Amino acid sequence: MRVLAAILWKDLVTEWRSRDRVVAMLVFSLLVVMVFHFALPDGTGREIATHAPGLLWVAFVFAALIGLNRAFAMELENDALAGLALTPMDRGWVFMGKALSNVLLIGIAQGLTAAAFALVFDIDLLSSAGSLALVFLLGTLGISSVGTLFSAMAARTRFREVLLPILLLPALFPVLAGAVEGTMEAIRDGGASFASIQLLLVVDGIYWIICFIGFDFVLDE
Amino acid sequence: MAVLGPNGAGKSTLLRILAGLARPTAGSISIRRGGREPDGRGRARAWVGFAGHTTFLYPELTARENLVFQGRVQGVVDPGLRADQLLEEEGLTAVADRRAGSFSRGMAQRLSIARALVQDPPLLLLDEPFTGLDRRAGDRLSERLQRLRSEGRTILLVTHDLLRASEIADTALVLLAGRIVQQAEGSSIERAALETTYAEALESEVPTE
Amino acid sequence: MTAETNGFGPVATRTRTASGALLGVLLIAYAYTVVTAPIDATQGVIQKILYVHVPLAYGAYLGFVVTALGGALYLWKADEKWDRLAVSGAEVGVIFCTLMLVTGPIWARGTWGKWWSWDPRLTVTLLLWFVYLAYLLLRNFSEGGSRTARFAGVYGLVGAALIPLNYFVIEIFGGRGMHPENLERGSLGEGMGMPFVIGNLTLFVAFAYLLLLRWEVETLRARNLAESVDPVALAREEIGT
Repeated sequence: MRVLAAILWKDLVTEWRSRDRVVAMLVFSLLVVMVFHFALPDGTGREIATHAPGLLWVAFVFAALIGLNRAFAMELENDALAGLALTPMDRGWVFMGKALSNVLLIGIAQGLTAAAFALVFDIDLLSSAGSLALVFLLGTLGISSVGTLFSAMAARTRFREVLLPILLLPALFPVLAGAVEGTMEAIRDGGASFASIQLLLVVDGIYWIICFIGFDFVLDE
Repeated sequence: MAVLGPNGAGKSTLLRILAGLARPTAGSISIRRGGREPDGRGRARAWVGFAGHTTFLYPELTARENLVFQGRVQGVVDPGLRADQLLEEEGLTAVADRRAGSFSRGMAQRLSIARALVQDPPLLLLDEPFTGLDRRAGDRLSERLQRLRSEGRTILLVTHDLLRASEIADTALVLLAGRIVQQAEGSSIERAALETTYAEALESEVPTE
Repeated sequence: MTAETNGFGPVATRTRTASGALLGVLLIAYAYTVVTAPIDATQGVIQKILYVHVPLAYGAYLGFVVTALGGALYLWKADEKWDRLAVSGAEVGVIFCTLMLVTGPIWARGTWGKWWSWDPRLTVTLLLWFVYLAYLLLRNFSEGGSRTARFAGVYGLVGAALIPLNYFVIEIFGGRGMHPENLERGSLGEGMGMPFVIGNLTLFVAFAYLLLLRWEVETLRARNLAESVDPVALAREEIGT
């Protein structure tokens, strides 16, 4: 457990001092929102509202890819990853620490992106902010779990920036299905349905367990 | 103990397997200390400190923070105290709050060794620690290792620097093509003897275990 | 030959040969039953593609089961032969999967006029295809034998969870299906059952045969590689004698 806390602290402090990941994610997703604005026809609020959840999550996934790519870059710099691999504790905790720090950082970028999205497309997200936050959180937990595992793998292969999306996107399908649906329900009905939440919980649970166990094998040389 | 051998003999691999960083494809490892054995691979890692060519340091964190972090990762009880202790031993107290990214190679090396010692391991593995160090830094390291040895630690040192090896090592292990071909007295390490060993081993083509 | 390069002994070779022979016979029977099957009243000749498309599913999905199991066994036992089985499963499976994705739309176009639809089964098959591709690319881009095998094993586990998960997701969240729902005995016309039975059998045997073949090739390849690397010679070069 303390390993988890230590890694979380380390990632956040490092990020705070260099700020490179959150900034990169933010800039990128804002650009994506702009592109959407220009690419889509001049729809009124109502039309965009039906597509908004999907678009929003597309922006989130792109941002997450940017953030995840960099997540292990710092670990590889001085081969610090090997330092982590030396822990006598269960290596799954290293995974949890990394994954949770990713959740936090991606979450920050998400929140700001959602705000920008709401402004640009004139959609009211504030009234369902609570349930939206829940859906965002659950979705990001899903993205972060497999995202962290795969980015650790991709970091040690050739073409890591290309490989990460290839590995990650198929695995995100169930997460996105639940997240987009939940977001739509939150905006439209003021609260996400139990079915969506349940799906997200199940997917997250399965993914976190698999990644917790699998991370040990990824940390070996 | 110095571990010697030509490139590709498997010295680094051996060290990494002993440290728990890599899994062996065949065979097994056993570690014992005063008749006791660790339970499980994870626990065994606590008994081993490893420092390689790369420093395993986070450039954005200060020296002290790096040590405290590693302490937590290793499950050390009071990492702050231990960090201060190690900084003093390595003579780095003055730069304790400077970012590790700004350190010179020699300083980074010392910090890296401090990092390896954080959990006070009885076994220390060093992979080419003398590379890139000037004469003074090398002497300093040599002294440090001797001091560590006198504290009762076992040190396995992979190096190409035969002079240093003969200075410090009690025993020398010579590796060739993935096998141990000789075990000898540390002080007898010198270039000519080594070359002979290689030649003999290759001649016989069936190296000794 | 070291311990790492075994794993495909004489029993396996004989099984492979036997299944090859069986396959030959079955293919003839298969072709015969497909050609002589009655033409469907509503769908026309194109309906016969289903006799190929449906049985392909076995190979496509079994392929990934083999990959995931092989990977898991490798992670557990660290015996390379399981990893070789895993990659064989993936390569054979991806072929079956690709064929499914080709024959499916052909049938759809022929009967419904649309090349594609997002119906559950087709979507999951498409996803499976992407997972296969990702798996093979991961292997391709990785460096180092044991690292590749380990990463592949872990990815196989994720994929194994992913496929059934997706099936449920798509079922829940809507499938506007064009897929003929159940191929129960009763719903088929006269004489249409036989081609499916033979077809299933044939393609299952084809899968088994190709899998064993690929596994054998991979074992031979590994054996070859191990024998061509002589550590003593390398040491010689290094020292300069």
